[in-house]
Amino acid sequence: MTPFLRRQRALADYTLAALARRRGKNLALVVIFSVIVFVVASAMLFSAALQREADLVLAEAPELIVQQLVLGRQDLIAETEIAKLTAIRGVTAAKGRLWGYFYDRISGANYTVMVPDDPAMMPEPGTVAVGEGIPRARGFTFAQAPLFLSRWPGELQKFAVARTFDSDSALVSSDLVLMAESDFRRFFEVPPGVYTDIAVSIRNPREIATIVEKATRAMPAARFVTRDDIARTYQKLFSWREGLLVALAGAAILAFAIFAAEKASGLSAEEAREIGVLKAIGWDSSDVIAMKLWEGALIAIGAFLIGTVAAYLHVFGTGAALFAPVLKGWSVIYPDFRLAPQIDGMQLTALFLITVVPYVAATLVPIWRAASADPDQIMR
Amino acid sequence: MKPAAGLRRSSVVFALIGALALMLALEVAHAAWRAPAEARRIAASAGLVRSLGLTDLALFTEARYARHPALADLHSAFQDNPMSFEHFPSGSFVPLPHALPASALGFSADEVSR
Amino acid sequence: MISLQSVSKLYNEGRPNEVQALRDIDLEIAPRAVTVFKGPSGSGKTTLLSIVGCMARPSTGRVFVDGQMVSGLPEKFLTEQRRTTFGFVFQRFNLIRGLSVLENVMLPAVPLGPDHAALRRRALDRLEQLGLGAKADMKVEYLSGGETQRAAIARALINDARILIADEPTANLDTELTHRFLEIVAALRDEGRTVIMTSHDPRIWEADMVNAVIEMQDGRISGAFA
Repeated sequence: MTPFLRRQRALADYTLAALARRRGKNLALVVIFSVIVFVVASAMLFSAALQREADLVLAEAPELIVQQLVLGRQDLIAETEIAKLTAIRGVTAAKGRLWGYFYDRISGANYTVMVPDDPAMMPEPGTVAVGEGIPRARGFTFAQAPLFLSRWPGELQKFAVARTFDSDSALVSSDLVLMAESDFRRFFEVPPGVYTDIAVSIRNPREIATIVEKATRAMPAARFVTRDDIARTYQKLFSWREGLLVALAGAAILAFAIFAAEKASGLSAEEAREIGVLKAIGWDSSDVIAMKLWEGALIAIGAFLIGTVAAYLHVFGTGAALFAPVLKGWSVIYPDFRLAPQIDGMQLTALFLITVVPYVAATLVPIWRAASADPDQIMR
Repeated sequence: MKPAAGLRRSSVVFALIGALALMLALEVAHAAWRAPAEARRIAASAGLVRSLGLTDLALFTEARYARHPALADLHSAFQDNPMSFEHFPSGSFVPLPHALPASALGFSADEVSR
Repeated sequence: MISLQSVSKLYNEGRPNEVQALRDIDLEIAPRAVTVFKGPSGSGKTTLLSIVGCMARPSTGRVFVDGQMVSGLPEKFLTEQRRTTFGFVFQRFNLIRGLSVLENVMLPAVPLGPDHAALRRRALDRLEQLGLGAKADMKVEYLSGGETQRAAIARALINDARILIADEPTANLDTELTHRFLEIVAALRDEGRTVIMTSHDPRIWEADMVNAVIEMQDGRISGAFA
């Protein structure tokens, strides 16, 4: 080891010995600091992973959804509208979608009932394909348990469960009930010739704006939702949620800032005297500053690492167990999903910069004057 | 953090920090190792989205505007019934238009105060 | 060999609380000898000690250490001098509370970045020599007065300082401990070190091993005895 490294190590030794004198207080500081890093890092990791998943998955959503609006509310749309859309140049296909919500009085859950468009996904009449949340909500105890749906007391319709989606796709399929079209129309009394909305495929995504413009002229009462709108909604939703979590952490950060300022910047008379002693016995101002730098760096880097490592385990190991109660809200079906673990270097760097650097700076600033004070004050 | 005889304080703390840094590195490696499997899983979900024409995540299932925020009637004030003020906890996560004009309420402020 | 040429020191210069601590001091301090500054409090002996020890700069005049003029040198160089040439035993000892005796003794060596194991051995040897070997891992605030002083001496000598500076070293010691201190000082001088102290304790300036006593009054030298 070079003398430089040995000196740095000896400075670290000194600063640790000095910190060990108020062990309880300094450990509490590290713990609180770590918890804050943990909350902020968890929010960042969770939100980024969820956003990434949503981006990748929803990139496959229909290019354009056309809804009929009646009195500002969505209504069923007539089959005849489909022809108006396919007539527009650039539209490859327009298909009526049948879907809606079913409030299950037995479990108190809301299901999203849907008729798949893809023939390969279409269940046989009398059978359904369900998301992983439905057996959970209904408390199915055996694999072949049939699904009974009831619209009003006394009415009961039995469906055989032909397929259950696994939890790999829980984030998009958890509350789905797929039905044959005939079952859907009969069960929900949807007359023939109407659909919930129309999904439009467009050959060239750059033409979407033009197509929407033309379609608006053809169908003035309709509302058009493009894939970009969907993406924007989710972007807003995630940044909103992350912001909310950071805002929650904000109160803690503020409290910590006060605590840290008191701890780090308030140079006690005792400490100022000690710095005088160190200078008198031959420490240079740069030695004193390096020693303080070690103090700030060891506390801040330690807390940063503890918080980040724990946040990764929390978000990807336990599926953000601490956030789930907040996110679940009152929903009965909450998807049982695992997020794809990933650590974004940029995010990590940003977190490092907003946690470690201010703390180290807060420890250093007050030391500046003390470090350049005359050493002979200690003699007087 | 009481050092044993002869063991320097810095050795103990540097070892702890090194162990934490190693764990972080392991986590990065874990994320990289999981990436192909996760990419396959996400691709499978994306396939489901494509073949079913799904538009939203099944995160909040308690209300239609929470379950399908992209398709919700964001212009209507009360989505389910006129007395339904926003009361779902997830409503705080799914942003609704904040500035509702008085006309959207369908009654005047005088009527309310009376 | 340290020499001072017409050294004066003003504190709080130009302000109403201005104090003229030293006036026009010319002095030579012999190497490998024990020199004592005596005088009433406020006579300027502590100020003189801090100027000799490169802790403060004179307002006017020059200070030479081993023929090199140090009074006009930058702070960094003075620090270097304090670290390598001088060892200090302060009146209140100024050990760092909460740290062990050993940690305190090793402190002046930190900026030099020596090998830790060797430094530790050196510090333990020195403590052993001063009869503090058993207390090396004890926190300094639990030491008695005499032990605290010996710990301070060990700290002053850790960088093998050629010149030991002590401010009122026996102010709080009983006769027996004062004798013990003087024995240590004599041993250090016999090792070839220079010892400079202030004291208004007759037990010190009447001791046989003191080579020179310099009497001070109102910032001036009022007498010198060999």
